[in-house]
Order: sequence, then structure tokens, then C-alpha cells
Amino acid sequence: VIEGDDLELFERSLRSATEQHTGDALDTALRDLGWADALSFDTRAAVSCLFEAQGAAGVTSSALDQVLAFALGRALDDTTAVVLPPTGGWSPPATADGGRLLVRGLLTALRGSVLVVAQSGDAAVGAVVESAGLETRVVRGIDPWLGLVEVDGVVGVVDAVGDEIAGWEHAVALGRIALSHELVGASRTASALAREHALERVQFGQPIARFQAVRHKLAEALVAIETARAVLDAAWQDRNPQTAAMAKATAGRSARTVARHCQQVLAGIGFTTEHDLHRYVRRILVLDQLFGSHAVLTKRFGEELAATRTLPRLVPL
Amino acid sequence: VQLDEFRTKFDDWLDQHADELAPSFSGGGTLDEQMAQIAKVRHLTFDAGWARHGWPEQVGGLGGPALLRAYLSEALTARDLVYSGVYSLPEVLGPSVITFAPELAATVIPPLLRGDEVWCQGFSEPGTGSNLASLTCRAVRTGEGWRVTGQKVWTSLAQYAQRCVLLTRTGTVESAHRGITALFVDMDAPGITPRPIVTMHGEEEFCEVFFDDVLVPLDRTLGEVGQGWAFAMDLLPYERSTALWQRAAFLHRRLRDVLETADASLIDPAKLGEATQLVYAFRARSRATLHRMANGETLGAETSIDKVLLATAEQAVFDLVAEALPAAVVIGDDPVSARWRAEFLYSRAATIYGGSSEIQRNIIARRLLELGNDR
Repeated sequence: VIEGDDLELFERSLRSATEQHTGDALDTALRDLGWADALSFDTRAAVSCLFEAQGAAGVTSSALDQVLAFALGRALDDTTAVVLPPTGGWSPPATADGGRLLVRGLLTALRGSVLVVAQSGDAAVGAVVESAGLETRVVRGIDPWLGLVEVDGVVGVVDAVGDEIAGWEHAVALGRIALSHELVGASRTASALAREHALERVQFGQPIARFQAVRHKLAEALVAIETARAVLDAAWQDRNPQTAAMAKATAGRSARTVARHCQQVLAGIGFTTEHDLHRYVRRILVLDQLFGSHAVLTKRFGEELAATRTLPRLVPL
Repeated sequence: VQLDEFRTKFDDWLDQHADELAPSFSGGGTLDEQMAQIAKVRHLTFDAGWARHGWPEQVGGLGGPALLRAYLSEALTARDLVYSGVYSLPEVLGPSVITFAPELAATVIPPLLRGDEVWCQGFSEPGTGSNLASLTCRAVRTGEGWRVTGQKVWTSLAQYAQRCVLLTRTGTVESAHRGITALFVDMDAPGITPRPIVTMHGEEEFCEVFFDDVLVPLDRTLGEVGQGWAFAMDLLPYERSTALWQRAAFLHRRLRDVLETADASLIDPAKLGEATQLVYAFRARSRATLHRMANGETLGAETSIDKVLLATAEQAVFDLVAEALPAAVVIGDDPVSARWRAEFLYSRAATIYGGSSEIQRNIIARRLLELGNDR
């Protein structure tokens, strides 16, 4: 594991990379830093440090693809992307039908080929297919800076329907953890922007940070961030799909709370594109929807608890 | 390693002594019954050594990390052996008394831990709620000792207590936080009159306490004269964090109980999901706080987050209870229903006691976000 000074240095280099680069350039920087290796020998440090930094800087990379491929036990070269489930979902993004794959999902970036996991009866299969055979659309949507690509289509698979692949559930779990860290990072920046504004903006002869109504919104935002962080901590401590889902639900809900309060504190300027806040609000809205939104995950979780009449155990002391 | 061993051995002991430890009443019991039950459990766990772990040897403890006593409180709560609302008072008051008056602590802490004595916390006053620095209960130094006159309120368990950790005004009122001194007062001293107040949840859980020229020996001063504020500041982070640790186990247990008994059609899955996540989140936060303390960190303003999170989780759980077990909460008069109702009503105070959520947010804004003064 990466500890002490090494961890600090690792974190600092990742932060610096995310502050300077985005997209393909950030992927290159991460390759130079050996981030993908770190992913295998200290998954927690690699995922938590990078995704918090990426969220805080509001930049993009293919790190999520790496995380999913790692959880699926597949190597990933830089010409291959991993197909993510469509907005709001977490089932495998394809179904196998005879010798064909029906694909529908999202990509973090357009690459020459894609690794796609498909449901095939009770099993899941994985295949690498050419992107050219699929319909792709660069998403503008609510957050054009995220650069997602929508992918749709039917492909014939050369080698039957690919190999059997295990661990989709684990890939979903690790993906959720990574996105939760990114949500926490984005929340921290949104909160810092709102704090700065509250201290600078003067009304009635004093900074609005003096007003309790404003202070309490910022305090609530911090409580929300620390809540998400605590659950993430516990999810790493007690790693399983259920704790990962709880972390994602909590991080999504917290980030939405942060976005709402910070936008209110920033008021008019926070509703314009002249201030950076809107980018973080947009990013939070999209990240909340990847691998299940907080609302859907929470309801699903409650249904599961009510059906089984059992609660998850609390993280041990 | 020490914790794992403690956990296993203590769990075994609890299994073996389950009959002895079990309460004699059904449902929540009356406060008298709950206090007797807590005293019994303290006796048994102290005499068997368990309740001495995590406390320093100078005060009758067996040493070891404070995490051990946290596990003790959690295990007792999870098994429904003690009333969670007041069980942890020694966790609030004990550590600061040890820090500020180590000699006195050596004689007064063991009976507290063994359940031979109950302590109460005389901080709030009718005119002094959140603004603690404005307190007026006066202590005047005389040749015989301190002479205390004034009134306290919201003093939990004062009618049961043998001792009171009391904040008094020894300087001028204008001296605010500088003129406060903490005293350790025997509740049977002449001139002390506790008057219980019936709460909305039907218990006489706290009192107003009148002090009429009460003599307190000088050697009962906790720390130095004028150090009362420092004493309170030392204590409050524990009141807002480690003393709350077992609440997650309590909420988890009650969520489980409601899941087992409620009509499925009355459970809103979204609310159940969120309440469970909040309990889990509070537990995770509280765990991190305990581990920071175990690593030697001094707890401070960040514990206000623990308190806000607990209040949110507790109200979410009992809002769910009110929907899922409406008959119990609204019209049931049997002991089990009465307990659900009492706990639902008690949860309404979660955003009020131990520093209201508004006060916690003020602290978070000033101390953690460094937003400057609000006045």
C-alpha cells in the first residue's frame, strides 16, 4: 500500500496532473505517473486520490474505463474504451442474441474499439468490438465538457459472443466508488467557490457570510460532504456491492444538496456562465445518474430491505 | 488486536450472563426501572472487569484504549440492555474530570463506573441556553469554601444524582467566559432542590435545580478558579461525539425491530433506504471520530458534524417508525407501543439537546469554514 509521505506525494502529483490537463492529455499524464499500476497494488489510494482530484478540478479522463477493466480482470490498451450502462442504469450495457450483441450505453471517450459486457442468459460475456460498427454520438447534453459518447447498435461477434466474464457486479461496485469520490471532489470545489463568494460579496455594508441564513447553507453543504466521505470510508473498510451502492447513493444525494445550497449562496452570478459554479452543478447532475442515481438506488435499497427484512451490518468499530 | 479480543470475549460473557443482565420489565419501562437496570448492568460489567477497560488505572480502570469502552456501550445497546438515551453520561463527564482534577477523579470515578453513583451536568440555566458564557449561578469564596446560589435547568437525572458537575459564576457577569469556575458538588448538600420536569415523551428525564447558599469545599474545584470555560470546552466535543457512538447501534436495532414488525404496505422504501443510509453514515462518521481520538488527536469543532448527522439520522428513523407503526405511536397503550411512542417523541429533541442543530451549524460556519464572526 501507498502510505505516509509516498501517499502525500502521490496525491499531490495527481492533483497537479488534474489541474493542468484534461481528456487525452490527462490520460497521458496518468500513464506517465504509473497510475494504472497503482490501481492494482493500492486500489483505494489510486481510486480515491485520482477521482477526488478529477472531480475537484472538473476535468475528464479515461480513468473510469481503467477502473472497470481492472475490476473485470481485463487489460485495457489506450485505443479501447469500456461501454458504460446507459444513463441511470447499471445492467450490462449489451445483450447477446445468437451471434450478435445488442449494445446501448455510454463511453467516456470515442476510441477505435470498445470492451463491452453483455448479458447472455444467466451469464455475462465480454467482447472487444470495433467502434466503427456502432452508432456513436458525442453527447452535449447538460454537461458538454464531460465529453460523453452515446453508443448504440448491433454487432456481429467474430469469436462467437466473446468470453465468459465474471465480476460485472464488482465492476459496478468499484465504478460506483470511483464516481462517489468524483462527486465528493466536485462538491468540495462547489463549496469552496460558494464560500469565497460569501466572504467577498458585500451587501447591507457587510459580507453576506455574516448572515446566518447563508452560513447555515454552507454549513449544511459541509455536513453533506463529510457524510459522503464517511460512508465512502466505511465502504472501503467493508468492501461489497451493497456498501458501494450506499456510498454512491449518499454521495449523489450529498452532492445534489451541495449544488443546491452553493447555487443559492452564489445567487445571480451562480446562475450565469460567467462564474465556474455552473460547470460543477452540471457535472454533479450527470455523475449522479451514472450507475444509478441516488434516488433510484435509495428506493431500490429500501425495497430490498423491506423484502428481506434484514439490514446491512454496521461497519465494525 | 486488543479490540478484537475484547469484542469476542465480552460478547461471550454477555451470552453467558444474558439472564442475569436482562431487564425485568417489558417495553421501555419507567425511568426508575431504566435507572435501576443501568445500575445493575454497570455493577455486573464493572465487577467482571469489562467496564474498567479503557479507563486509566488511576481512576480504577484497567487501562487500554478508549475504543474498548466504546465497544462496551455499543454491545450493551445493541442487546437492548440499557436505555441508550442516558447510558453514556459518564462518557460525557468522566474524561474532563480526570483531566482537570486527577486526584479527585481517583476517588469519584470508580463509583460512577460501577453504577453506585449517578452524576448530573449542571450547565444550562433559565437565561443561559446556547449562550453558556452568560451563566449567572454564583459561587462566592468564603473561609469555609464556595457558597453557591442560583438555578440550573435541563439537568438530566438530577433527581437520581449523588453528584453534580456544576458551572458557576465566580467573576463578574461582564467577565463572560473568563469568570466561570467548575465545581464538583454533592447533591445531598443542604440547599439543593431538584424539581423534575415532565418531558413530552412522558418521563422526568431532566430537572430544574435550585441552589440556595450551598456550601462546596474548595478542594471540589475542577481545575483552577476561572477555568470553567476551558473545562466546558474540553467536555463538549465528547458530548457531541464519543458519548453518541452507541446511538448508531440503538438506531440500527430499532430499524431492525420496525422491519420485523411493521406491515410491509406501510413502509415507504425510499424513506427506509434513506434512513438506513443515514444510520450507516452516522456510524461511519462516529467511527472515524473514535479512531482519531484513539490516535491521540484532540477532538474539537468537527464533532459538531457528528451531532448534526446523528440528529438527522435519528429523526429519519423515527419519522419512518411513525409511518410504519402508526397504531403503536398514536393510540397504543401497551408497553411495546408506549416505547415506540416515547422514542418517536424523544427523537423530536435530537435537533435540540446537546447544542441545537442551529448552534452546531454556527460552530461549523465559524470554526470549520472560517467564515468569520456572525455578529
